[in-house]
Amino acid sequence: MPSTTAPHRKRDDAAGYADVPYAEKQRLFELVKADPRYPDYLYGCYECGICVAVCPSARFYDFSPRRIAQAAAREDAELFYQQFQEDIWECSQCFSCLRCPRGNNPGGIITIMREVAINEGMASAKEALEGYSRIIYKIMSTGTQVSPDMLQPDAFPDWGPEVKDVSVNLDLWRRALPPETHHTTTTGWAVAERTLIELYLIWLETGALSMIKEVDAGLHMILEEVMEERLEEEGIEL
Amino acid sequence: MKGPADMCTERVLVIGGGPAGLSAAQAVSDLGVDVTLVERRSFLGGTPIAENYASLTPFCQPAEEVVGSMVERLKSSERVEVVLDSEVSAFEGEPGAFVARVATPSGERELHCGSVILATGFQHFDPGRETQMYGYYEYPDVIALQDLEAMLKAGRVARPSNGEPPKRVCFVQCVGSRDRQIGNEYCSKVCCGVASKEAIEVREHLPDCEVFIFYIDMRMYGYWENQIYWPAQERHHIQYVKGIISEVLQKGDKLLVRGEDTTMGRPMETLMDMVVLSVGMEPSPGTRAMARVLGVAQNKYGFIESAHPPLDTVSTSRPGVFAAGAALGPADLEDCASGGGAAAARAVSAIRALAAAG
Amino acid sequence: MSADPVNVLLTKKRKFEREPDGRSIDFHERVFELEQAGEWTVHRVPEDHIEVETKYGNVKKIPRGHLWHHKSCGQCGHIPGYSTSIFWIMRKLGYDYEDPRDQTSCTAWNYYASATSNPAAQAAVALRNFAAAYETGFYPLIHCGTSYGHYKEVRSELLRHPDLRDEVRKVLAKLGKAMVMPEEIVHYSEWLHALRDEIAAVQVRDFSQIAVTVHPACHYYKLVEGDAIYDPDIYGGQRTAVVTGIAQALGADVRSYSTWFDCCGFGFRHILVQRDFTRSFATMRKIEVMKEEADPDVVLTHDTGCVTALDKSQFAARAHGHNVGVPVMSEAQFAALAMGAHPFKVCQLHWHSANYRPLLEKMGIDWQQAWAEFQQQLDKLENGGQQFVTWADVDA
Repeated sequence: MPSTTAPHRKRDDAAGYADVPYAEKQRLFELVKADPRYPDYLYGCYECGICVAVCPSARFYDFSPRRIAQAAAREDAELFYQQFQEDIWECSQCFSCLRCPRGNNPGGIITIMREVAINEGMASAKEALEGYSRIIYKIMSTGTQVSPDMLQPDAFPDWGPEVKDVSVNLDLWRRALPPETHHTTTTGWAVAERTLIELYLIWLETGALSMIKEVDAGLHMILEEVMEERLEEEGIEL
Repeated sequence: MKGPADMCTERVLVIGGGPAGLSAAQAVSDLGVDVTLVERRSFLGGTPIAENYASLTPFCQPAEEVVGSMVERLKSSERVEVVLDSEVSAFEGEPGAFVARVATPSGERELHCGSVILATGFQHFDPGRETQMYGYYEYPDVIALQDLEAMLKAGRVARPSNGEPPKRVCFVQCVGSRDRQIGNEYCSKVCCGVASKEAIEVREHLPDCEVFIFYIDMRMYGYWENQIYWPAQERHHIQYVKGIISEVLQKGDKLLVRGEDTTMGRPMETLMDMVVLSVGMEPSPGTRAMARVLGVAQNKYGFIESAHPPLDTVSTSRPGVFAAGAALGPADLEDCASGGGAAAARAVSAIRALAAAG
Repeated sequence: MSADPVNVLLTKKRKFEREPDGRSIDFHERVFELEQAGEWTVHRVPEDHIEVETKYGNVKKIPRGHLWHHKSCGQCGHIPGYSTSIFWIMRKLGYDYEDPRDQTSCTAWNYYASATSNPAAQAAVALRNFAAAYETGFYPLIHCGTSYGHYKEVRSELLRHPDLRDEVRKVLAKLGKAMVMPEEIVHYSEWLHALRDEIAAVQVRDFSQIAVTVHPACHYYKLVEGDAIYDPDIYGGQRTAVVTGIAQALGADVRSYSTWFDCCGFGFRHILVQRDFTRSFATMRKIEVMKEEADPDVVLTHDTGCVTALDKSQFAARAHGHNVGVPVMSEAQFAALAMGAHPFKVCQLHWHSANYRPLLEKMGIDWQQAWAEFQQQLDKLENGGQQFVTWADVDA
C-alpha cells in the first residue's frame, strides 16, 4: 500500500530497510537538531549547488550535500530518515562543502547524523561499519589507529606487491627505522602505558565507549573488559 | 551665503558627483537654493564614467550620453558651483550652520552650508576576496562586470589571453554578495540585470558566441522581468543555469568551470573561453572616509546607515546630513535619481524651516 | 579613458592586495581572553619563531625548534619514511625536539570515519596531548593533515561552547592533566614552509629538472580555512602556499592542473571498506589529470591520507589500463632527498607503491647502490650486530 506520508515511495519495503512510524522519524531528526553543534552547522540553504559542485562523493554516489542541508532545513523527517539509511555513509568527510556561502556545514550535519545512527544502533550503521571493527579496536585499545601489522596482502590486495614485502619483512623493516618510537609492529609508534590509561579514561568518561555497544556488542564487551581491567590495575576508580 | 537670519546658511553641500549627487544637486538648484558639489575626481559622472560603462539598464542607453546630459544640465544651472579634484577633510557645526574644510588643488578652503547630501557611492567587490576559487588574479580570461563594460564601450569583446573573440562566455552571479563568510550578506541588487544586459550585448556583438549565466536566484524585480530577463532568454537565447560556479581553473587554453547541474543533482564541469564575474557593491573608500569625517553612522557593511527606514530613505544619524544613492547600499540608477531628489527636498526644507524659525 | 580596456584590466589584475574584512578577526584574542578568565593555560610559541601570513592577513607564529612531535598513525604505521624524514630534516638543521611516547592518535578516524566518538572525547584527546606537550616544555608540531584540521575544529568548538569546555575540564581533571591550549596549532608543512630558505641553503641535489604537481590536503586548508598559510608571492595569494613554497625553493618545476582543489578521495572509511571510491577518485580525478596536463615526475602532498590514497590507488588502476604511474611522496621526503638523505634508510621509499626509481635516477641517485647499502644495514640487524637502526647510522 503506498505510503501517504512518503508518496514518492511505492512500497514500504522498497528501500531494503525497515520503515518506522513517522513519530520515530521525527524523534531521530530532533536528536540531530538538539546537538550543540547543529546551530553552527545549519543556517539556511538557497540551493546554490556549490556544495555539490565540490563534493567528491557527489561524483561517485547518488549523494548530495545540498539534499542533506535541504532536508534538515525543511525538517523533512521522511527524507532525513532515508538519508540516515542510504546517504550518510557515502560522505568522505573532506569538508570541501565548507565553501558554503551561507556558512552551512553539510559534512558536519552528517557527522552528527552518524553519531545518532550509531547511538540508536541503526542497521545501516552496523552495515556501514562492517569490517571496520578492527580499526576501532586498534585505536581504542592501543592509542594509535593504524599499525604496520595491518599491511597484509589479503587485506590490501589492490595496493600492490609492496604490501607483501612489508608483511614478510615486517619485524626487520621496523627495526630499520631510525626513530626510536617506530620499532613497533602492533602499533604505529610506542605508546606509554600511562598514556593508554589516560586514553581509556577519556573513552569511558565521555561515553565514547558506550557508543560502540549498539553497533558491535562483542567488540564493546572486549574493549570494556580490557579498559576496566587496566584501570583497576592502576587503582583508578570510575 | 549668510542671510539675515545668520543662524542659517542657504546653501547645500553635495559630496560626490555621480548619478545620485548630480540628481541631488540639480534638484536643490531647481528648488531655488545654492548648491556646491565637491567631487574628488577631475570629472563628474561617478563610477559609470570612471569605469567606462557602455550602457545602462534597462534600456541599454549609452552611459556616457545619459550621465553626460545630467552633467551638462547641472553645469549650466544657476546657483551651482562644481569643485573638482577636491575632498572634504574636516566638518563641524549644527544644522543650518555647518562648516566644511575642503582640500582643493589651489589650497584649503572653508565652505559654509546649511545641509549636506552624501552621495559618495560604491566600489566594485574585489574578486580576490571571494570565498569560491574564481582565479581572477590567476587567469587573464576571468574578468569582472565592469571590465566587460569597458570592452563593450570600446566596441571590441575579445579574450584577454589571445585577443580572439570568445565562443563561449559565462557570467557568474553573486560574486562577493549573499555570502556569510565574506560578511557581505546582502544582495547587490543590480548585478542580475547588469549581467543580463551585458549578456545581450555580447550576443549582439558576437552572434556566434554562446552565453551562459550561472545563478542562485535571478533578481529581476519589477519591469526588469519583461524588459531584460524574458528578452534575454527568448530573443537572445542566453542560457540561464540554476547552480552557481564553485571554481574556475585553466585547462589547456580554456577555462574549466565547475558547478552543479541542478536538474540532475550532480556535479558538472564545462569549458569556457571567458568568465565574467558579477561582482557586488561595497562602500567606496569615499563613503567610508566621509562617514568618519562627517561623524555619520555606518551599518555593519560600512554603508551609510539609513536612520529611519523604510519610508525615510535619505536621513542619516546626523541631523542636517542626508545621503543618497549607493553610499547607502546597493542601488540602481533609478534609486540614485529618486534618492537624490528626495534628499534635496529634505535638505532644502530643513534649511527653510530653520530660516523661518530664525 | 581611451586606454585599451584589456591592458587596463590586465594591469589591475597583476597583484592582489587583500582588504581586511570580518574574517580577519583574530581567534588568538579569544584564546588569550579565556586564559585571562582562568579557563586554560596558553602554551606560548617559543621566542625563536618565524612569522608567516594566513589567508585573511593575520600573522601566524611558526616555532623553529624545541618541538614536540605529534605523530601520525598512518605515517608511522604505513609510510614511516614520511615521519622519519621530518625528524631527519630537523636534526640536520640542528633543532632539538621531543619524540614522545606520551602521545595518542588524534582519533579523528573515530570521529569522522566511524562516528564512534563525540565532541567531548575528541576535545579531551586533543587537550590531553597538548597538556602532555606542555609538561615537557616542547611545543607541539602536528604531523598529520587530518589531525591538524581536526584540532583546529576542536579549538573552534571549545572557543564557542562553554559547556564543552566544562565537560572536558572534568575529564582532564580525572587524568590529572591541566587545560592547555597552544597559542598556534602548527602543521609540520608550515614548519617546512617557514624554514624553506634554510633548507634550500643546504640542498645538495639538483632538482631543477624535476617536474612536480602539488596536491593540497583538504583538511589542511578547507577546515577552519582562515588558519592556513597564504603568500601573496605564491599563486598570487589565491591558493595555499605550503608544499608549493618549499618545492619552488628547492628549484623544482611546479606545474598546475585543472583538478587542483579536488579531494584525493581518501574518505576515511572508504579507503578501507569502499576502496573503489578512493581508487576511482584518486586515479580519475587526480593522477590521470596530473599526468595528462602536467606530466610530473613526482606528486607532492602534505598529509598521510593523501599520500596513501594517491600512492596506493595506482597499482590496481594500472591493471585496468588507466594512465597512472607517477611516484607520490610527502614534501618532507622530497626535501630530505634534496638535502642528501638516503632514499631507503631515511625516506623509506620501499614502503611506497608507485615506482619511484625513475625519479631517483632523475635526481642523480644510484638507487641500486642505495638499496644495497640498505640491505647491508638490514644484514647487520639480522645477524645480531645491532638490534635497531639508530640516528647515528643515518645522520650523515
